[in-house]
Amino acid sequence: MKKIAKTKLVELWRQLASETGLYLPIASDGVVNFARWQEGAEVDLEALNTLLPAKKFFFPQTETVLKYSFSDDLVLEDCAGKAGEALCLFGARPCEVASFSMLDRVFLGEPVDEAYRRRRELTTVIALGCNDPDETCFCGSFDIDPGKAPGADVLATDTGDELVLVAQSAKGEELLSLLNGVLEEATSGDENKVKDAQEKAKAKLPPAPPAGGLMEKLDGMFEDSYWDLLYQRCIACGTCTYICPTCHCFDIQEYPTGSRGERIRCWDSCMYADFTQMAGGHNPRPTQKERVRQRFMHKLNYFPRQHGEYACVGCGRCVRKCPVNLDILEVIKDLGGAV
Amino acid sequence: MSVKPEGFEPLIVAFCCNWCSYAGADLAGTSRMAYPTNVRIIRVPCSSRVNPSFIIRAFQRGADAVLVAGCHPGDCHYHSGNFFTRRRFTVLKQMLEYMGIEPERFQVRWISGSEGAKFASVMNNITAEVKSLGPNRKLRDAR
Amino acid sequence: MMGQSEKLQKIAAEALEQGQVTMVLGWCKKDFWWQAPVAFITDPASAARLVWDPFTVYNPVKYLLDNHHCHEKIGVFVKGCDSRAVNRLLQDRRLEREKVVLFGVPCDGKTDAAKIKAAFPGRKISAVSRVDEKLLVDTDSGTETLPAAGYLLDKCQTCRHPNPVVYDVLAWEKVEPRPGVDDARFVRVAAVEQKELEERYAYWLRQFDRCLRCFACRNVCAACNCRTCIFDQAEPRWIGKASDLADTLNYQIIRAFHVAGRCFECGECERVCPADIPLQELNRKLIKDINEYFGEYEAGLDPNDKPPLGTYRGEDPAGFDES
Repeated sequence: MKKIAKTKLVELWRQLASETGLYLPIASDGVVNFARWQEGAEVDLEALNTLLPAKKFFFPQTETVLKYSFSDDLVLEDCAGKAGEALCLFGARPCEVASFSMLDRVFLGEPVDEAYRRRRELTTVIALGCNDPDETCFCGSFDIDPGKAPGADVLATDTGDELVLVAQSAKGEELLSLLNGVLEEATSGDENKVKDAQEKAKAKLPPAPPAGGLMEKLDGMFEDSYWDLLYQRCIACGTCTYICPTCHCFDIQEYPTGSRGERIRCWDSCMYADFTQMAGGHNPRPTQKERVRQRFMHKLNYFPRQHGEYACVGCGRCVRKCPVNLDILEVIKDLGGAV
Repeated sequence: MSVKPEGFEPLIVAFCCNWCSYAGADLAGTSRMAYPTNVRIIRVPCSSRVNPSFIIRAFQRGADAVLVAGCHPGDCHYHSGNFFTRRRFTVLKQMLEYMGIEPERFQVRWISGSEGAKFASVMNNITAEVKSLGPNRKLRDAR
Repeated sequence: MMGQSEKLQKIAAEALEQGQVTMVLGWCKKDFWWQAPVAFITDPASAARLVWDPFTVYNPVKYLLDNHHCHEKIGVFVKGCDSRAVNRLLQDRRLEREKVVLFGVPCDGKTDAAKIKAAFPGRKISAVSRVDEKLLVDTDSGTETLPAAGYLLDKCQTCRHPNPVVYDVLAWEKVEPRPGVDDARFVRVAAVEQKELEERYAYWLRQFDRCLRCFACRNVCAACNCRTCIFDQAEPRWIGKASDLADTLNYQIIRAFHVAGRCFECGECERVCPADIPLQELNRKLIKDINEYFGEYEAGLDPNDKPPLGTYRGEDPAGFDES
C-alpha cells in the first residue's frame, strides 16, 4: 500500500507518462473526457464520470481492422493484430471498471476479438474510488461498491489530502514499483482512512432500486403494453448508447479510395432506424418502440440470460445526458419496484 | 498551417454550369487560351444544382480549392436558378470563413459562354492564389 | 388562487373531456427535480400529471410528427419557442393547422439545472420552484432563494419571443421580453468572428472533436423535419459512418446550412448536446449573415413566409466577387 500527497500528483503523472501512455479525466472547454496527459493538462479527479466511457480504450469509436490495396495483386494488412499501445488509465470509477468485465464477456468469449484482447492486456487500470456519489448514481442496484473496484489493477482512494494506492494485481504491483521514487509507504492509519472513505461513500449513495428479479419479470414482457408508452418521448438520438459504458454494438464499413481502402469498425446504436435496416428494405424494428424495447431488454434480460449479469453498472450517464429523460433507471424503478 | 512543398500543384474542382461557364471553358479551349491543368471541371446543369455537400465532399477528398461558376444574374437558362445560387453560396462562403477556411479556397464566379478569356483568367488566378496558399489540409478525410 | 400547473391541468382536462382533442402534449415531473419531460396525456384523469415549473424547457411540438396521423386533433402546450416550431412545421407542410389546438403558455425563461447545482456544491437539492422573479431551492440544509434571472438557460437569455406567436387559448397573461435580449443575440457569434482565421479553425476542430455523432441536435430540431435525413441514407452515403473528424465537420456544416433561414433560435440543439458543443454559434452566424445580406428575417413567425434561401430578389448583393 502506497500513498501520495495530492499536491504532488503532477510528479506522479510526469513519472507515469515517462513510462507509458497516461490517460486521465481532463477538462477541455468544461467537458471532462479521458485524454492523454500532457504537461499543463487540466486534470479533473472530482468529476464523477467522463462524458465518453472508458470502453473507448478497448473498443474505440472508430478503428481500422483491415487495410487493402490492389495493383497487380491484392495486398491485405491485418490491423487487429497490431492494435493498441501500452497505456495506463488513471481515474476510472468503480462502475466503469465493473463495465470492463461485461465487455470482456462479449469480446473475450469465443471467438476472441484480437484487437480488444491486445488493448485490454496492454492497459493498466488505476481506479479511483468515489467519495461523493451523485444523486443519479445507482451502482448499488448492481451490487457495485462506489469505493471499491475489484477488477482494477490499482485502487486509488482519496483520503482528503492524499491519494492511497493499493495494488490489486501483478500488473498493478509492477506499475507501483516503477513509481517508488514519488510514492510513500502508507501506514495502518491510512488503511483506516481508506476504509472510512469507502464506508462514507457507500452511505452517501442514494437508495438504489433493486434490480433483482427484473430479468425473470422481463421474460414475459416482450409484447407488454408498457413499451407502448415508454418509448413515446424518445427522439431516437444515440446519446444513451454512445455514453453507456456497457453498450457495445458496432457496424463494419468499407472506405474504398481508388486502388486501396480500409475496413472500419465503428460504434453503432440500436436507437437508429438504420441499425436493423436490411438490404431489401425490410426493417424488423420498424418504429422507435421496438428499438427502445430492444435496448432495455438487451441490458436487463438478454444479456443476463446469456452471461449471468445485467449489462448496466448504474453509472448514471444516461440519466444525466438523455435529452428527454428516458433512461434505464426509470425502467428499473417501474418494473423492479421503486425504493 | 499549410506547408508549401516544392513544386506544389493544387487540385482545383470547378463546378461549371452547362449553359455558360462550361461553354466558356470550351471557348477558351477553341480560342487556344491557356489555363492550368490543375482545374478539374465537373459539368452541372445549373450552378444552383451544386449542393453545398458537394463542396464539403470535394474538400474531404482532396480538393485544394473549389469553384462554382454560373451564368450572370438574369441570364439563367432556367430563369432564376443562379439567383438561388447567389443567396446560397453567399451564406455558405461566409460560414466557411467563419469556420476557419481561407476565403480563396471556395470561390463563386459568374462566367458566360462568350467569356472564354474571363474563364481562362479566373482559372489562372485561382490556381496562382491556391499555389501561394499551399495544400489544403482542412476538412480533409483522414483516410 | 389557482397555481400555474393547475391552470394547465384544467385546460388539458377540459379539452379531453369535451372531446376537443384526443391527446394533449405538456410536461410532467420525473425522478429528479431538474427533469420535466414531455407527457402524452390521453385521459382527463391523467391531466393531473401536468406541471409548469422552472424546467419545462422541452419542446413538445416535434412529437406531432409521430402522432398527428393517429389522432383527430392533438392539444399542445406551447411556449414562445415551441409555437415557432409549430409555424416551422406548417411552413414546411409537415403539419395541418386544423389538426392541433395550441394552448399558449407565456414563458418567463427556463432555469439551468447545472447553474443551480454549481451554486450549492456538495449539497443535495430536492426541489426548485419559481415565484415571480425568485427561485426557491430546497436543499438538505434548508430552502435558499436565488434570483431567477441569474440562473436562466443560456438560450432563454436571448429569447425575443417569450410569448407564443400562434395559439388558440392562452394559459395566462403575456409577459414582457427580457431587456437587452437584442444586444445579447449575436455576442457569441461576434466573439468567434473576431478570432484569427487559424484560431477559428482550431476552435471549431476542438469543439467538433467532442461530437459523438449521436444526432441529438438534429433529432430535437423542429427545422430538421425531413422524412428521411440525408445523413441517414445508405445510398448515397453522404457522410461516413465512422466517427472521423472530417465527416463530423461535414455533418455539422450541412446540418447548420440546412436550417439556415429556417432556424427559429430555440437553442434546443445546444441544450441537448451531450458534449456541450456551442451549436448556436453556427446557427446564429447564418441568421446574422442572412439578416445583413438579404434583410432582417425571423423564422417561425409567419407560416406563409418563404424562407430566405428559398426565394430571391434580382438586386440581392453577393458575398463573393461578382465582377
